[in-house]
Amino acid sequence: MRDVFIVEAKRTPQVKSGADIKDYPVPHLGIGLLKNIMDVTSLPPDAIDEVILGNTGAPPKYPNIGRIVALEAGLPQTISGYCTHRNCASGMEAASQGWLKVASGRSDLIFAGGIESMSQMPLIFGKEMTELFANVMRAKSMQDKVLALKAFRPQHLAPIIAIEQGLTDPFCSINMGQTAEILAREFGITRQDQDEYANRSHHRATAATKEGKFDDEIVPLIIGKKFDRILRHDIGPREKSTVEGLGKLKPFFEKKSGTVTVANSCPITDGGSMLLLASEDAVNKYNLKPMARMVDYHFHGLEPERMGLGPAISSHHLLKKLGMTLDQMDLIEFNEAFAAQVIACKKVMADPSISKRWGINEKIGDLDDDKLNVNGGAIALGHPVGSTGSRLIVTLAHELKRRGGKYGLASLCIGGGQGGAVVIENL
Amino acid sequence: MSFQKLSYEVKDNIAHIGFGYNSESSMTVLDEDTLLELNEALEEVKKGEGAGIKGLIFFSHIPRVFLAGADIKMIQKLNTEVEATSGAEKGQELYNKIDDLSIPTVACVDGFCLGGGLELALSCDHIIASDDSGTKFAVPEVKLGLLPGFGGTYRLPKKISLPGALDMILTGRMIDAKKAKKLGLVTEIFPKENLVKVASRYFKKGAGTKKRSSPMDALKENLEHMASENFLSRKLIFQKAREGVLKKTKGFYHAPLKILDVMEQGASKGRSSYLALEAQGFGELCVTEQSKNLIHIFFMHENSKKYDGAKGEGSVLKVKRGAVVGAGTMGGGIAWLFANNGQSPILKDLNNDALELGLKQSSANFSGALKRRKMSKAEYERKQLSISPQLGFDGFNSVDLVIEAVVEDMKIKKLVFGELENHVRDDCLLTSNTSSLSVTEMAKGLKKPERFAGLHFFNPVNRMPLVEIITHDKVAPETVEALYKWCVKVGKTPIVVGDGPGFLVNRILMPFLNEAAYLLEEGVHPEELDQACLNFGMPMGACRLMDEIGIDVLVKVGKIMEEGLGPRARACGISKAAFDSGLLGKKTSKGFYLYDAKGKPGDLNSEIEKFLPNMGSKNMDETSIQMRVFLPMINEAARILSDGIVSKASVVDLGLIFGTGFPPFRGGLLKYADSEGLDRITGALERFASEVNEDRYSPAPLLKNLVAEKKKFYDI
Repeated sequence: MRDVFIVEAKRTPQVKSGADIKDYPVPHLGIGLLKNIMDVTSLPPDAIDEVILGNTGAPPKYPNIGRIVALEAGLPQTISGYCTHRNCASGMEAASQGWLKVASGRSDLIFAGGIESMSQMPLIFGKEMTELFANVMRAKSMQDKVLALKAFRPQHLAPIIAIEQGLTDPFCSINMGQTAEILAREFGITRQDQDEYANRSHHRATAATKEGKFDDEIVPLIIGKKFDRILRHDIGPREKSTVEGLGKLKPFFEKKSGTVTVANSCPITDGGSMLLLASEDAVNKYNLKPMARMVDYHFHGLEPERMGLGPAISSHHLLKKLGMTLDQMDLIEFNEAFAAQVIACKKVMADPSISKRWGINEKIGDLDDDKLNVNGGAIALGHPVGSTGSRLIVTLAHELKRRGGKYGLASLCIGGGQGGAVVIENL
Repeated sequence: MSFQKLSYEVKDNIAHIGFGYNSESSMTVLDEDTLLELNEALEEVKKGEGAGIKGLIFFSHIPRVFLAGADIKMIQKLNTEVEATSGAEKGQELYNKIDDLSIPTVACVDGFCLGGGLELALSCDHIIASDDSGTKFAVPEVKLGLLPGFGGTYRLPKKISLPGALDMILTGRMIDAKKAKKLGLVTEIFPKENLVKVASRYFKKGAGTKKRSSPMDALKENLEHMASENFLSRKLIFQKAREGVLKKTKGFYHAPLKILDVMEQGASKGRSSYLALEAQGFGELCVTEQSKNLIHIFFMHENSKKYDGAKGEGSVLKVKRGAVVGAGTMGGGIAWLFANNGQSPILKDLNNDALELGLKQSSANFSGALKRRKMSKAEYERKQLSISPQLGFDGFNSVDLVIEAVVEDMKIKKLVFGELENHVRDDCLLTSNTSSLSVTEMAKGLKKPERFAGLHFFNPVNRMPLVEIITHDKVAPETVEALYKWCVKVGKTPIVVGDGPGFLVNRILMPFLNEAAYLLEEGVHPEELDQACLNFGMPMGACRLMDEIGIDVLVKVGKIMEEGLGPRARACGISKAAFDSGLLGKKTSKGFYLYDAKGKPGDLNSEIEKFLPNMGSKNMDETSIQMRVFLPMINEAARILSDGIVSKASVVDLGLIFGTGFPPFRGGLLKYADSEGLDRITGALERFASEVNEDRYSPAPLLKNLVAEKKKFYDI
């Protein structure tokens, strides 16, 4: 296998759904990033081998949005583009596929990333209504059409909200929030623990924004109804967040006795992220200056109802595979789907008596708060599902560079009961 | 008979007449020979009518042009009204032959179908069109001061509704195949490869009875049709159309009014009387000075699309991507131009506010197009978002053309270019959108001055077609050629101008505005002054124009002019006084006039009495006012020619028409001077020199020479 380098890593500002970019033309969450990286690197457009983008719910008018982004960004039509879908890890899946292609020598330069506009995830009509429409369309005469329409019942109009269905596990039929409730109960994680964790995420994120720590990784968006304003910062992190304030919210998923609220979970969000992966040959040929090396990746499965432990499990297996330990990681980015879920991971990783339930008989390691999500996480920054997997790598690469650290770990839990992890090395 | 200019063939009992053989240029036109052969071909068809021939198809052998109309050079040769009238009559007879055939006739239109070409198609039973985006229909005669004289005014309102026909004929507007089908002009649209193949469908009995797209459309059309048939409503339609024309043209243009006369009188008449009226109208318009002027401008504009300047040995760069440095109103406008032409620009400035100002400008232009349905929402998003607003130089080595539009300050501009040189490729073109600074001076600090030139746009960029390419002694011809070709590509009208104060347009505009200021100082009322300019045909009066430009800019530029040109350009004290009063014009909502929040002009601003104490004290007749402001422009243009700033009179005229809106029907400033008589103009200047001011009015030496040699500006 060849070395795989991360040449550039960029992301858009992340904006909570329904806010400033709720109507943004979705492909443009990726186009600007790709164009910016082309500008920064001065690569000839035909040098690119492929564009791979994570995405889980683009509006139907953008099928295979990976290809749309490649074309609209001005890459030659000969360059292929496609999408990956691994729920929350779709962007990480894109990066992993890019990694495999470059490492195996099939490709030299790949754009891998993810985009998601959760604001624009579609409403879907039920199967009955869809069939009715199809029958009406098929009907040849007016009479046939009327006959077809007679089958209509008002309840057919009840829409299925794609986002809601996407966040419910089809295997165990429980909502993602309920998986977090299960972990909170099983590991004795209190409401206070979760709110404190969430509060810290907000303060870390707003501090990082203020200090300009995200400036290098963010490519601004042109926003507004008339596209005449420039957005440079995330919209979501709350500077004035307090534990008391967070404590006032009612539990959302288990209304009567639960501890998981919308405020100690990640908000649904719009955003995009993009990595340029390159082989050593490409780095030399085009005189590129890589930021980092993508060392390897790993995905691992577990019970869907405990999907929140995915990071603990997948990180362990990746480190094992690489012959490394958690201590060697100078920086760790765990996606904060739910505060409860991150705290649960921490507990599993620190205690082999717990982790043995998943066949891990040794201590994985202590998650050090000074290394974990140092600039805040998804609870503040949001979780644009298709993008987060690659967004974590973007943020990790930049912070690792700033700190002059060596290794970094990015990991997330995946709806459906999986975890994904990536290790990178700062150069 | 053998045909050279067109093809004639009978295949499977169907006669095919094909155009596209008569022209070396890309556009097929109906010249004399083609019309003669067409007549021959139609005689052949008539012979076979009822015997072997069961239908007639017109088509074009070359893609994207069916017929681009009658040869304008042929029209130019018509010297008298009688000649022109009979010319139209001959065309009408020819088209009547098509109309009178008993067999079905179909015009297969792919590409341009204009003027006489559309009139031919209208003589057929059916027009079917290709789905190519280049398929366009228009009767643009009005733009040349003419009317469609081959039966167009008669057949178009019969084919589509009267209001629809009036709109097309009075505006000369181009419509695409889709719109043409909606109007009922086109029977059906097909892929262009299938066009001729499917034409025979329309020869079957009862085929092609028009299908309405919807009951609502049908109702609307019926109502319109009924309205045109009804005498009273017809009168109303014409009355409204006439009001519209007068409002739009201020009555300066003869052709639209003549068109209305012909169509209104013709409406109640049969074919032969209607066509006689049309031919007569064509004859009258054809010999007018106005039509000749408009045709002159048409050719001038056409010629300007080809670069005919000096050529170099090296290759000429094709601009694919641009960058704009300085994101103000102009910078945003130029970014819009790049974006609108798919050249995804970088827009660079030093801070976010400036960038947003530029984006606002570009977005305003795009939303205008969106509102007028000239652009789809998706296209709007794609184009506006193709702009990369940024603070740094990322991507500058991928651009082919940088246009600098920062503040008008030589020191800052030099700094900007010094920095730019470190970030762009060696072959990248560097330009400055300066309106007043010396590009020769700007070129001095550059490592590679040969790839640098001035590129002066006019405000607003989306509406003003002119671009001045300013040269200097070190510029490479390849640079000028590349810039010229880029301008044409993005739909602008470029002129090549030598360096000097105000370049071409502003240098000529300055004496106009300066004299206006002197007239105000003498006591002429601003509204009378503006009215005199409007009555001459200018798009706005001098005071309105000063408000539009901004008094602060005028004072600044005035100073540069005075330094560069000497006493004849001495700025009138009024502008300084206006500047001191803080009434800077539209930008401050107060100038000579008051402006509302949207920038719409209202009443005269009473505060101007502060610096015009004797306002309105002097009565001057309109012609005198006009002479006082327009003669110095002609005088300055003469000096520009002798200074070698531009090479010929037509460049001056092109510049003023497309850069200031100088009335096109006058043919341009120097065409106008030529037609008025240079001796008279020089005489008047001499009179003003002794009566008003010697410095400002003494005739230029070139003018005197021309008078002595009995030559015109256009003879140089």
